[in-house]
Amino acid sequence: MIGTTPKPFEEITDALKGYDKIAVIGCDGCAKVCMTGGSDQVAEMAEKLKKNGKSVLFAMSPERTCYVGKTKTSLDPQLDKLKEADALLVLGCGGAVQITRQVLENYGLTIPVKVGLDSVGHMDTLIMGELAIEQCQECGECILNETGGICPVTKCAKSLLNGPCGGAENGKCEVDSKRDCAWILIYNRMAALGELDKLRRFMEPKDYSKMAKPRRLNIKERKVE
Amino acid sequence: MKLTELFDKGEFVITGEVGPVKGCLRSTAGSKLPQCAQEAELVRNVVHAVNVTDNQSAVMRLGSLAASVKLKERGFEPIYQMTCRDRNRIALQSDLLSACSLGIDNVLCLTGDYTSLGDHKTAKSVFDIDSVQLLKIAKGLNEGHDMMGNALTQSTNLALGAVVNPNFEPLDLQLLKMEKKIEAGAQFFQTQAVYDSAVFEKMVKKTEKFGVPIQYGVVIIKSPQMGKFMNENVSGITVPAWIIEEMGKVAKQDRKKKAIEITAKLIREIKPMVQGIHFMPLGWADIVPEIMKAVSSAA
Ligand code: SF4
Ligand code: SF4
Repeated sequence: MIGTTPKPFEEITDALKGYDKIAVIGCDGCAKVCMTGGSDQVAEMAEKLKKNGKSVLFAMSPERTCYVGKTKTSLDPQLDKLKEADALLVLGCGGAVQITRQVLENYGLTIPVKVGLDSVGHMDTLIMGELAIEQCQECGECILNETGGICPVTKCAKSLLNGPCGGAENGKCEVDSKRDCAWILIYNRMAALGELDKLRRFMEPKDYSKMAKPRRLNIKERKVE
Repeated sequence: MKLTELFDKGEFVITGEVGPVKGCLRSTAGSKLPQCAQEAELVRNVVHAVNVTDNQSAVMRLGSLAASVKLKERGFEPIYQMTCRDRNRIALQSDLLSACSLGIDNVLCLTGDYTSLGDHKTAKSVFDIDSVQLLKIAKGLNEGHDMMGNALTQSTNLALGAVVNPNFEPLDLQLLKMEKKIEAGAQFFQTQAVYDSAVFEKMVKKTEKFGVPIQYGVVIIKSPQMGKFMNENVSGITVPAWIIEEMGKVAKQDRKKKAIEITAKLIREIKPMVQGIHFMPLGWADIVPEIMKAVSSAA
């Protein structure tokens, strides 16, 4: 999922300054899992905005706000109210905000769309409702087959491909002593698999052109273009 | 002069580290010698070459290349340290060409301390390539081509050094990387600070067969507080309790004397296992000559 954290409320009211009639759009996908933009948080935000003197036209959470089809289906019945809105507040990732803007543009509506969350990356949930961690940054050329299923590009602070830096201590990373050194994890995993010799292979510098932004995914042909 | 020539001749190679100043080095009338040059002067008669750090600990300073060139002008042999933290593969290769063009003969290729440890914590970390890849790329430049295989009008001619941390657990993982560095092009190694000859011996037993020269890395412990600080804050280094105790026992004004004694003792124990010593004096460069004197007088 895409991880999100709430922006401070003052930052949100600042962004909404001068706009009175607000619609709040959350996301029942990732933002719900992060407890930042699901139906509950959207309702809470609507209340807070009302207390702050705004009139809230409606508040809802599409099933997945980053998906243009689902967002449109959710917004279609609200079109009349949307036309009245001074601004939209989206409690979703940066993608959800931009898809919402695109849906509005498709309706022919030019309304400011503001974001109420900060997006913090692709996250994997370890403990539901408690903890998610970043383990993949979509480098476009997955090397997990070489590294025992543990990603050094993401889990090593320095994205080292040919082994650890000298700084790990007690198995922890020099950058953050609460975090395991990715290379020690990889080493232990490869040792357990009896495949340590595979780590001797020189890993070529990564092809970062595969991460050159913005990428486009041709879903039909299943390729990046 | 390349350090590899000294090792080849069987010379016991001594080097000392200096950190470039935080500021510009444009000399004006009456300007006094910058700190890094003063530190180099203190060890001039005991070292073969001077390591020049690259924005060490991610603290922004004068560039390692400019400081290296300035030291070369003063008759020192610089070892230009290069980290992968701040530059991508284009800038690193270009700087290697620049270094060779400016008369640099030795490069030490490192990963680099992470950005958040330094004084520009909000900077974007680069780490486009790692130290093993940097060594391979530098070797390629020596052979006349860039990493994409494009021919150079003139090759570089650089001796390539690397680092290894004998304290690392698991050691075999660190040595796996060391072997990769050798295969990639590393011709000599400098170690992280070690305060236990048994730790060093454990490593040397496994690295002897690699056949590359290793310099023992020495960080002088200046006070009991520094020893404790390093144990708590500098990852990858362990300062044993006996050193902290001994330094704590003497009066402040006698600490240098004690440091000479302790460091010389460690060097005497480890010297037979290595091909040189690399000093990282952190402000106490003045006692390096005395340490070396103490080492040889007891020998
Ligand atoms: S190598 Fe790492 S960053 Fe790249 S796709 Fe695989 S898991 Fe993701
Ligand atoms: S300690 Fe390990 S995870 Fe941290 S930067 Fe070094 S190699 Fe990467």
